[in-house]
Parts: sequence; C-alpha cells; structure tokens
Amino acid sequence: MKKRGVGFASIFYGTGYGNGFPDESRATAEIKEDGSIIIYVGVSDVGSGGLSIMWQIAIETLGVNKEFVKIKHNNTSMMHDSGTAAASRQTYNTGNAVLDACSKLKKNMMLASEEVTNLKVLYKQMVTKRIETRVEGYFKATTKEVNLETGQGNPYWPYTFGAQMVTVEVDDETGKVDILDIVSVNDAGKIVNPVLAAGQAIGGCAMGIGYAIMEEVFVNKGEIKNRNFSNYIIPTSKDVPNIKSYFVEDIEGTGPYGAKGLGEPVMIPTAPAIINAIYDAVGVRIYDLPATCDKVLLAIKNNA
Amino acid sequence: MQAVGVNYTRPDVYGKISGKAVYPDDIEFEGMLYAGVKRSTIAYGKVLSINIDEIKQLPGVEYVIDYTMIPGAISHGVIFKDIPILVKDIVKRIGDCLILIVTNDKESLKNALKQVKVEYEEYEGVFTVDDALKEDAPIIGDGSNILYDIKIKAGNIDEGFKEALHITENLYCSQMTEHAFLQPEAAVACYDDDGTLKVYVATQYPHYDREEVARCLNVSEDKVKIINTTIGGAFGAREDINPQCHAAIATYISKKPVKVLYTREESIISHSKRHPMKMHYKTGVTKDGKLCALKARIYGDTGAYASWGMNVLRKAAVHATGPYVIPNVDIQALAVYTNNPYSGAMRGFGATQVPLASESQMDILAEKLNMHPLKFRYINSFEVGSNTATGQKLVSSVGIKKCIEKIAEIAEIKL
Amino acid sequence: MIEVTLKINGKMYTRKINPMLRLIDFIRDEIKLKGTKEGCGEGECGACTVIMNGKTVNSCLVLAASANGAEITTIEGLSNGDHLHPIQEAFIEVGAVQCGYCIPGMILSTKALLDENLDATEAQIKEGISGNLCRCTGYTKIVEGVKIAQKKIINSQEGD
Repeated sequence: MKKRGVGFASIFYGTGYGNGFPDESRATAEIKEDGSIIIYVGVSDVGSGGLSIMWQIAIETLGVNKEFVKIKHNNTSMMHDSGTAAASRQTYNTGNAVLDACSKLKKNMMLASEEVTNLKVLYKQMVTKRIETRVEGYFKATTKEVNLETGQGNPYWPYTFGAQMVTVEVDDETGKVDILDIVSVNDAGKIVNPVLAAGQAIGGCAMGIGYAIMEEVFVNKGEIKNRNFSNYIIPTSKDVPNIKSYFVEDIEGTGPYGAKGLGEPVMIPTAPAIINAIYDAVGVRIYDLPATCDKVLLAIKNNA
Repeated sequence: MQAVGVNYTRPDVYGKISGKAVYPDDIEFEGMLYAGVKRSTIAYGKVLSINIDEIKQLPGVEYVIDYTMIPGAISHGVIFKDIPILVKDIVKRIGDCLILIVTNDKESLKNALKQVKVEYEEYEGVFTVDDALKEDAPIIGDGSNILYDIKIKAGNIDEGFKEALHITENLYCSQMTEHAFLQPEAAVACYDDDGTLKVYVATQYPHYDREEVARCLNVSEDKVKIINTTIGGAFGAREDINPQCHAAIATYISKKPVKVLYTREESIISHSKRHPMKMHYKTGVTKDGKLCALKARIYGDTGAYASWGMNVLRKAAVHATGPYVIPNVDIQALAVYTNNPYSGAMRGFGATQVPLASESQMDILAEKLNMHPLKFRYINSFEVGSNTATGQKLVSSVGIKKCIEKIAEIAEIKL
Repeated sequence: MIEVTLKINGKMYTRKINPMLRLIDFIRDEIKLKGTKEGCGEGECGACTVIMNGKTVNSCLVLAASANGAEITTIEGLSNGDHLHPIQEAFIEVGAVQCGYCIPGMILSTKALLDENLDATEAQIKEGISGNLCRCTGYTKIVEGVKIAQKKIINSQEGD
C-alpha cells in the first residue's frame, strides 16, 4: 500500500572560507573612452549565475543603463584574484568587492559631473580633470580561527538559513519512496535575482533528493564500482516533483545590498526532511543514507 | 532598486541556448596534440616499473612523460601539496596519475594508454575509518592517519544531560557521493603570442590554477594565463587540480597546443568525493522542550589525500547542532585518511552530512515530547543575539524563525 | 575508410570516414559543430541528443556510417540567424538554463516532443525529457519553459 508522510528539516550554513582563512575578493571598475564601463572580476560562473549577480550589483551601484556595463571575468591576466566559486561566497564576498569598486568609480564620475547624461562625454571630462577612470575594489571577510580543543571562536560569517517541508509516498510492499512535493524556504538576505535564486533552490532540492534516496558511490578496496550514469543514478525529470521556493529576506547589513550566499545551503534540508517524511509515512527510521528501496523495505519488515 | 532584486536575463544564456557557448572540449588549434594519463589500478603500493620505452615506439606517440620530466613541483593540493601530478613511486589510491602520454591524435592516445604495463609492489591498504584508527594500521597520511581533529565544548555536558527529560542516542551514516556535473573535465594548453603559457579550462578558481600550473612548470605566475571557459557545472569537484597541470606540462615539453579530455569514467575516478561520515549523536531535551545537551562524534573518511578534509570536518563540527541553541555541547570531528578515493569539497561541505543526524534527532525528540516537529524546531531555533556552539553571537540576519513561520503558514501548522 | 553523406541542418556533408566513427564525432570533429555535447559516451545522459529523421538519438551511440543519408538537426540548426526558436526563447524567459551543458540536448528533445505532440501534458513533458540529465536546475524551470514554448508555438501557428 502507498502511504503518505510529511517531513521537516531546518538548517543553518556558514558561508565563506571561514576560520580566519584569508577570504578576499577583488574587482576593478573602469570607464572607457567609448562610454562603456568594464568590471574586471574573477568570478567563476559554474552555472549558478555569479556573472549575472556581479553585473546587477555593478549596474545598481553605478546607476547607469545596463547596456553600458560589461563584466570581464575569464582571463587571469586581466583580473585580480577573487577567490573560489565555492563556500557560497561569490555573492557576498565578490559582490562586496564589485560594490566597492563601483562605488569608487561612481564617486569619481560624480566628481567630474554631477549629472551623468552621456558616458562618453563624462569620460572626456574625467580625463580633462585628471580624475581616475579605473579604480580597484576589495573585500575581506572577517572570521576568526577557532581553538582546536574548545572550538570557541567565530568561524563563519554570515550565516544563511533554510527550512523545507517534503511530502513523500512510500510503497510499503516495495520500499519505493516517491517525492510528491517540496516547499523550500530560505533566508539568504536580499535576493539579487529572484529567478536565478529560485533556480538554485530548486536545483538544490533535486540534488538533495539524489542524496536522500538514490546516490551512492560504491567503493570496494578503494575501487569505484559505479563509474557512469548507468549505475551512478542521479535524479531525472521524473524523480523531481514540482518544487515551491520562497525567500524570506532577512537583510544582512554587511552584504552587498543586504545579500548573503545561497548556492550550497539550499540543498541541505532536503535529505533529512525526506528521512523524516518516510518515518511519518511508514513508521520506520532510516539511519544510513541513501534510503533505497531495499533499505526501506527491510526496515518495514523488521518493524512489523 | 533598478537592478538588485530584479530578474535580469543572465548575460551568458544566449550562448548556452544556441550551442555557441565554448566549453574546453570545444577548443581546437592547428597541430594540436592529445594527452592523457595512465592511472594506478591498485590502491596502495610502490611502482616498480612501467614499459615507457615500449610506449614511446607506438604509432602516433610523441612524448611519454614521467615525474622526472616535470620542470617544477611534482605534486599539488589546495592546502597540503600532497597529490602527485605524476607519481614518483608510491600510489595511495586507485586513480593516481602515473605517466602522461602525448600523441598526435585521439585514437593513438586511446591505444597507447591501453598498452601501458605497470609492475607494482602492492601494500596492504586501509579502507575504513575504523581500520585506519587501529594502532597497527598502515600510516597513509603524513605521520598519522588523523588529518584533522577538532573539538567544540561549551557549558557542562554532564550537567546538561542531567537536565534532560528525554535523551536519544543513535548512529547515523552518510554515503560517498559524486558531483556528477554534466561536463567532464577537459583542458587545452598552448603558448600565447606573448610567450605565456595559456590553459583553457572550466574551473572554480582560475587564480589558484595559475599558481599550481606555474609551480609545476617552475615559472613565475605572470608566465601563465588561465582562461576560464564556460563551466559545465562544478559543485566542488573543480576545486582541486585535474587536467590543468597535465595539459600545461605537455605543452611546455612539446611546445604545441595540447588537449586533455576525460571520459565520464575518468571524471568519476579522478576528482574528489563527498566525505562519507559516521555520526554518533546523543541529544537531550528538557521537559519544556528546550534542547539542553548534545554529544556528537563525527568521523569523515577523507581518503588518500588531504584536499579540503580539515575544512569539511570543521564545517561538520560547527554545524553539528543544527540551527538551534544548545547550551551544553561536546562535539568532536575527525578527518581520517584511508586508501579510498579522496574526499573534498561538495555542495554543503560537511554541513550537508550532519543534518541527517541532527534533524533526525529533532524528530525523535519531538515525538517523545508529543510536540509538533516544526514547533519543536521553532522554539529552539536561533534568533538575533543567540550563541552558536562555538560561542559566536549571531548579531544580524538570523532568518531561521521566519523560514519556519513561512512553512507553518503554508502547511497551516500552529507554532 | 568509407564515404558517407549526411544532411545536417539542411546542408549536405560528404566525408570519407573510419566506419567506427560515432555520429557525435562526425558532427563535432568533422563538421566542427561544437554545440552537441558529450557527457557520458554511453547514451545515459542525453547531452549529445540530436534529431535524426525526426526522432531524437544519442549521437554517441550511433555510428556516422549508419546515419548515411540521414537528415540531422543539431542545436545550431534550431535558430534562424538571430531569430531564436520559441523553445529557446521560452528557456531564456523562465530561467531554465544554468551551466548550459545539458541544454542543447534538452532543447532538441523538447523540439522532437513538441513536433510530435504539441499538446503534451506535464507528465508527457517529463517523460519526453527524462533521457536528458540535468544536474543544476532540478528540471522544474525546464518543464515550465516547455509549457511556455507550447503556448508560443500554438500562438504563432494561429497567427499563420
């Protein structure tokens, strides 16, 4: 018989390298003779939209039309080091460096002319008045190394939060778990681009489904047995339900326009919420991930 | 606001929907060579011989490169430089890189890699954390099998459990997983007109790659350029070096453009994995439903190389409580070396593993209390001014209660 | 070596090839159309999907020689100059694209599906793209994109 259950999980997530590890980002903003503004920044867009986020923060800060702003981000000889696209740190850390560079450039632009109407003309005015047309932005996160014996300290900042509610259906004759519905709510401060953020949240849930009920690298004496998608099974379109994503924007004052990182934390509550939902559905608790059919079925049999 | 909070169309989308976006395997140069590595098939042992002279004679083979031909550093790593670019003598995992073969076409490369014969002296390896922690275990790490050991202590754990009405104690295990991004690793290296060596690669951190490539070539960083192409997903697996140094060394030696391209199998064998963890949890709650004590022991199988093992287990320890105030904690997390594939960064980085334990414990205790699990979370969750287990005061932007309120609103649950 | 002729995106290509050459290698290495992606090499991920004589195939599983005389559509054949196909427009509009590596195959699977059944239900859409793995998006916005593409195509046909 198929039985339904609902499960919850909530999490927090410290973004950035943390633990006092130098967590720095740099960006350069330059107005060009043709009136375009180039932001040179070492943002790697792994698909998560970091490039768009930097672009939007730059446009907001400069207060110019988006057509004039371009991001150059892919050649190490053209931009300074902005750290890894990891630790959910690009929006907060590198975003702050872009904000810093663009604030300085904006200030210089205002020095040349209070009213910005034509960027080509403004560039000429800046050159005539010997105002810098190229400025550097920088941001360093503040965290402190924790004591290895007591763990006391401030290891990360800022923290992102999330909670999810998952509805599952468990077939108590086969142990098969179907995910019927996920509600994902996250606090990543101000959301810079809602569609991109929702994309992260939904994609995170899908990866969480894989982690909860499907995926495992089988290793025997150090040898990986499943080396392709025929036996390392990740979710397909048929495994992922419609996922509803919401953001509560608890503004972080040190973030660019109040934003915090969100790439990683969005996937975290899914697996434990599924495990709790399985318990709610059939009264068995799975202690080892993933909750595959055979594990769930065995637990049901042992429970009977 | 004009641009922040607005759904701008991401600027890279047009290339991606038209097939014009350039990923590293899409790059070709005139006269480009192909390179690939022969990887170890044993998990622990010493390389005695490789039939390099025979391989050199095979059709299409231009160069066979071993560690002696690397101009600079022969190993790399995000924190410890312990991963061999090409093995000197000892292999510690299946998939360690032994020799680099450079050919003038793809087929010759495939053929040459098949013909490599390696003689090993195989050692007894360790494949579980429990075995690695035994007194007589072979030492896989640098002097110890414990890469990292962190403790978090706050309050008084014994007193904390005395306050508890309910206590639950359980063992949780999480599995090794794979990033499974869609674009397998590839890199193309060539010399630029200005004499710098250029590597096209899809990477999470181009400046780190530049540093590693310069180190292995023994040149200054300004002699290397990393061109970060369109990236076909990453999720943590493009943080450690993979094809970058091999492509660069092959170009350095051949003076020609060289492409390295992984199959899906090689991608899965080569890059880091999510740490499997064992998590012993004992959690106590008072009659008022307040969490009062947590004792946690967390063991992560970090595999053969350090990668981000320290940082991952630290993150697991710091997040072991979940987003809740627990005044008395005793947490310990260890990263332990084995001869398994090395573990490293993967989305959530240690904080993804521990909620299996912490959030299951929450539900078990809520049931004992006869309280709705969402309400139980709500009354224990952080707010501005709360202290985490590490004694960090959360001074701003603590949205967890708002998140739970939103769920409660949707599900019509009274908190 | 054998001679084959394939019609790709409306253009005839004749090449002398190794009989073991895969269709994906013919497209990427011989014709130099790089939009078709290889993700697994064994027909599991769908990144290399192309349309062959109206049906989707995994081009890593088809020998170029066996496709002799076939009509192939790749992602490069979808848009007309700068004029995007409605599926491409819809994918942009809803934010269905993240890393982008699965997208050419995903779009071609969608095209084949909608060419056959423009009124496909959500379940049929999910079935139709289930051979195309995506690790980034969780598919929700892709499915949404397909639904918008359906409306766009229906509207444009009504306009004809």
